[in-house]
Amino acid sequence: MNLDQLLNQLLTALTSISLLLLISIGLAVIFGMMGIINLAHGEFLMLGAFATLAGVRVGLNIWLAMLLAPLLVGLFGLLVERLLIQFLYGRLADSMLATWGLSLIMVQAVVFIFGTTTQGIPTPLGNFSLGQYSVSWYSVVLILAALLLISVVFWVFKRTRYGLLARAAMQLPEMAMSLGINTRRLNALTFAFGSALAGAGGALLAPITGVVPGMGQAYIGRAFMNVIIAGPGVLTGTTAASGLLGTVEYTASYVSTPFIGQAALLIFAIVLIRFLPTGLSGRWGKQL
Amino acid sequence: MKFLLRKIPFEAKGLLVIAGVAFILTGLVEDYQATQWTVWVIYGLLALSLTLVWGKGGIFSLGQVAFFGIGGYAYGVVGVNLIHTTGESLSALVAAGLLAALFAAAQGFFMFYGNVGDVYIAVITLATTLVLYTFMLSTSGRQYAIGIAYLGGFNGMTNVPPLTLFNSFLSQRDLLLVTIIIAAAIAFVVRFLLRRPFGRVIAGLRTNELRTQLLGYDTRRYKLLLYMLGGGIAGLAGGFYAAWGQFISPTVFSLSQASLAVIYVLVGGRASLSGAFAGAILVEGLSTNLSKGGTEATPIVLGLVMILIVLLLPTGIAPALATLLKRIQIRGGKIETRGLSPLLEEKFLSKTIPTASAFRKNSGRLETVELRKTFGGLVAVANASLTFDSSGVYCLIGPNGAGKSTYFNLLIGRYKPTSGQALFAGKPLNRMPIFRRVQQGMGIKLQVVSIFTELSVFENMWLAAYAISRNSLWAEQQAGQLLERFGLLQYADEQAGTLAHGQQQWLEIGMVLAQEPSVIMLDEPTAGMTREETARTAELVRELGKQASVIVVEHDMEFVRLLDAPVTVFHQGQIFAKGRLEELRQNEDLQNIYLGRYRNVEVK
Amino acid sequence: MFRFLKVREKRVKTASRFLILTMLLANLALSACGDSTKSATTDDKSDIAVGSLLDETGPLNIYGKPMADAAKLAIKDINNNGGVLGRKLKLVSYDTQSDTGKYTQLTTQIIQQDKVAVLMGGITSAAREAIRPIIDRNKQLYFYNVQYEGGVCDKNTFLTENVPTQQLIPLTQWGIKNVGPKIYVLAADYNFGQISTDWVKQYAAQFGGQVIGTDFVPLDVSEFGSIISKLQDAKPDIVFSILVGGNHIAFYRQFAAAGLGAKMKIISSTFGVGNEQIVLSSAESKDIVVAYPYFQELTNQTNQKFVKMWQDEYGKDYPYITDLAEATWNSWHIWAEAVKKANSLDREKVTAEIEKGLTWDAPRGTVQMDGATHHATFDITIARANDKKGFNLIETQKAVPPAFEQQVCNLVKNPETYTQFTPGQK
Repeated sequence: MNLDQLLNQLLTALTSISLLLLISIGLAVIFGMMGIINLAHGEFLMLGAFATLAGVRVGLNIWLAMLLAPLLVGLFGLLVERLLIQFLYGRLADSMLATWGLSLIMVQAVVFIFGTTTQGIPTPLGNFSLGQYSVSWYSVVLILAALLLISVVFWVFKRTRYGLLARAAMQLPEMAMSLGINTRRLNALTFAFGSALAGAGGALLAPITGVVPGMGQAYIGRAFMNVIIAGPGVLTGTTAASGLLGTVEYTASYVSTPFIGQAALLIFAIVLIRFLPTGLSGRWGKQL
Repeated sequence: MKFLLRKIPFEAKGLLVIAGVAFILTGLVEDYQATQWTVWVIYGLLALSLTLVWGKGGIFSLGQVAFFGIGGYAYGVVGVNLIHTTGESLSALVAAGLLAALFAAAQGFFMFYGNVGDVYIAVITLATTLVLYTFMLSTSGRQYAIGIAYLGGFNGMTNVPPLTLFNSFLSQRDLLLVTIIIAAAIAFVVRFLLRRPFGRVIAGLRTNELRTQLLGYDTRRYKLLLYMLGGGIAGLAGGFYAAWGQFISPTVFSLSQASLAVIYVLVGGRASLSGAFAGAILVEGLSTNLSKGGTEATPIVLGLVMILIVLLLPTGIAPALATLLKRIQIRGGKIETRGLSPLLEEKFLSKTIPTASAFRKNSGRLETVELRKTFGGLVAVANASLTFDSSGVYCLIGPNGAGKSTYFNLLIGRYKPTSGQALFAGKPLNRMPIFRRVQQGMGIKLQVVSIFTELSVFENMWLAAYAISRNSLWAEQQAGQLLERFGLLQYADEQAGTLAHGQQQWLEIGMVLAQEPSVIMLDEPTAGMTREETARTAELVRELGKQASVIVVEHDMEFVRLLDAPVTVFHQGQIFAKGRLEELRQNEDLQNIYLGRYRNVEVK
Repeated sequence: MFRFLKVREKRVKTASRFLILTMLLANLALSACGDSTKSATTDDKSDIAVGSLLDETGPLNIYGKPMADAAKLAIKDINNNGGVLGRKLKLVSYDTQSDTGKYTQLTTQIIQQDKVAVLMGGITSAAREAIRPIIDRNKQLYFYNVQYEGGVCDKNTFLTENVPTQQLIPLTQWGIKNVGPKIYVLAADYNFGQISTDWVKQYAAQFGGQVIGTDFVPLDVSEFGSIISKLQDAKPDIVFSILVGGNHIAFYRQFAAAGLGAKMKIISSTFGVGNEQIVLSSAESKDIVVAYPYFQELTNQTNQKFVKMWQDEYGKDYPYITDLAEATWNSWHIWAEAVKKANSLDREKVTAEIEKGLTWDAPRGTVQMDGATHHATFDITIARANDKKGFNLIETQKAVPPAFEQQVCNLVKNPETYTQFTPGQK
């Protein structure tokens, strides 16, 4: 194998991993910190993509639009938490069903607003040569963005007062309550933060996929799987799981076919869960 | 004659009535209505299977449609092959149910014997469904054929034969009739089963799985059986579905189909068998009625319905309305206050301990040799070698974190020892799961009250007695006797959760006694009791110690003093001292360890 | 002892059973409401009910919505021109919500309750195969207006859109001649993709080219990193795309982002059906070569009139009139013409008229129904996506027949045939 081929493989695999991380980090924060499985997560991604699209349409710079999209989706998340999720803490099945209902509504609402097909955003930045291979600059952006999001999550939970309280509330909810921490506000903030991360993921996806109302469905399954494999460690677990699953999927689909790639991913995940029922980070304790 | 009539169960009568009504109804409807209703009933059957598994058994099988789909494909494959040779397809329907049940068995074995957590069960079942979806999608090549049946990939299987009965194809109306009758028959069989001992154990494990294990039930096996039953029913429904549409495609495994099954159950009410059908019919009726004329609003209305139900009627529409009706009928139910603890009644003690029956297990000596347990780097218990004779009372004491609770959990099997041995009557215990230890004659009461709060007081006691006897009649008698002795008979059909705290403690102790154990393990039995009750409990424990070995983990020195039994003191994971309490009180070191507590006792 | 338990339960049970009965009755009442729309096709003055089943919501609405719009417009047009047999048409339509199970229910309902004279619809092959047994049972006339894998041979069914041979022969030939001989096929992993790929292999060999690689991509894959790598390793002249659906749109974008457009060209038999050229930017879709019976850009007069009528109805900013939408429009008119000629709504008479080789002056050019196969012959145009979200026409092949179907299917001779032929099957 030549050097350029190796580098190209590495870069593509890293992009796969980054994508997996980008589409699941929002879900992971909401699941890991609050125990809510947000089945509308795919639609939050979709909303992030459409927010970016709308931003570009009104003439914003694409990078600016990508920055604004998470804020918008975060606000939307705040609204959803206040109107819906706050009544469903500790009710796993109910929260899944309510968010599923929400996802149905969101898809159709977007169809009403934008129609079934809309003009998307082209991938910015062009490409560069890596020996005989040409690679999109944007895939480098995706890798950097994944690193950036990891750092942001780390910073928020480790270095801010909110993060400290949120982690405390996650580990010992009763204790947090009795210490006078306002868990209501905390939960709302966490959900909004998770939604914003999903929005960021969607915004970053916008220039590499078709921005259509049903696009969320393509990602929800994998994001879901990733978070379950990750286990309770929001940051460590999700990063490790993305790395593992991304590599498995990329290798399997490169060596054989994308079908085998997908099947390998799912089977690998199920076998892993059999032996590590609480996910990769299950034994690392309730760390980030 | 009268006797015979009374012998006919309610279920059989109900089935006759439904069959009759269905017979008349199917004569009146138009074909297209028959087509529509048939699929509604089929979805109802699917919902029923989920109600059984999730509502009754507490297994959140998010991917119940996997079995539905497997059943559909099984019917397709077997049907296509059979119809050209034997000319009938009814046996394909049987194959559908069996294959799905088999698949459920494989998957269930994996999940329940792997001790997979609740959330993960939801995820694994859903993921399995999605794997099947992906797999079936990719079977479009001509190499994917079983016999002469092509799986067909995304396009699905075509040429699936309709259902035959007595070697002729069923018309739409006949299919409706057959579907209704079989669905009703299944519903009644399920209802019947749930009222049998099997159903009570299932109810028990849904409410409190740990307690069910502590009573000596192999909950994994029960879950597996239930899951297979649910899978089989879903598979049968899938078979009907394929016969109904003469068609089956991978979309039965899709995420939206999976969620629909859950929605039916949610609308109909999680634990209501008839609600399953109501839910399916309501949701499908609504979505069909909405689909007319291109309003494109169906997803929005369905989404809103789901959200509103979850927020406003979490028990489902039918049960919520039923409760409302009941409330109107009764007009403000009153909560009665419970009487005094039965313990304080005269002559209580003499009546309490049951006389040994044939089900009492032989007693033996319980011993541990060099038992050790570490968590990560932390040594919780080390060098624990102790022997408990087949009768007598033994106290384990020590400050918080001394290792006595860990030791207790090692004895009952909640933890596996890192090294060392535990033996009961010479048999090694190390690899024995909790329920088997109980079957060997251990009776266990944990520190926190652990009863089946949603079941009746009687059912609680019955479950305990049934666990050792597997004899429903004997269990009824035993339960009745114990309830009477513990003064709980008047609350027999109240929910156990409504009892006062002290009464719940007593119920649980009663449940342990109902099992006639030869080793009784009590973790802080007097937590939350008054002084007087504590004294009575001590009396009871001493009495029990005459027939069985009673191991008590305790904090309360007063109680330990009353027991007047040999004491083992744990400190920092080690056995620190053994002896009579009076002797130990002289020990300076021990005083230091226990300073705070001793002082408390002294002050009292 | 059990008697303790029964008293309370009974009351609840009776209550809920009563409720369920009420719900059932309410539902019956609801489904009976639909009867008011019933129209007797025999009554000479009343409107003629005609049926359409399309996925207007859910993931398939990308295809379903333009088709539903086309159906409405076609019925309106027919009615504005006097209807048929002196009566107006009344469109009965249901939204099948991208759920194949709904097709079985609604097909029966639309035939038996609404008593439609003709049924059109179904988008996926799965939907079509769910519809066909019911059509067959009820002896109903049915039109399927979507490009598909070919081979259906059924007296009651007309399939008016193109089959693989019709596109693939011109497209493969053009590609090998104008781009190069080495072809890498990317196909959606289902029957349509598999069968199309087989044809591409056969035609590539026939026209002096070679398929050097094949990948079947599951319909739910939207990450093409590994495929892009494989393409760069294989270095084909042509990437032959038979990718389908919203997820696969991502391929074109990732292909362009990696700058592969400079090294190889995409030709496709599916690009554009889901308005891919609208969703993608012009830079990304530019230069992709496709072959279809219909393009909005066709310059003939019929098409210009059609486009104007469409834009008057749905606005100038309507994304793009898809091939499927135009096919739907054609089918309604072909049926109406056949009814006029037969002077009857009777299924057999109408079928006989169409089998005579009925022609229709369509926006795509002349459509001639192929009586023996129940498919259609029409022009196929090769075009290249331009930078204005549309296509530049390259060349047109006149009257391309459904070649494979003509070899295997003859419904005039063997009207009892009910099957789907696949290539290589004896």
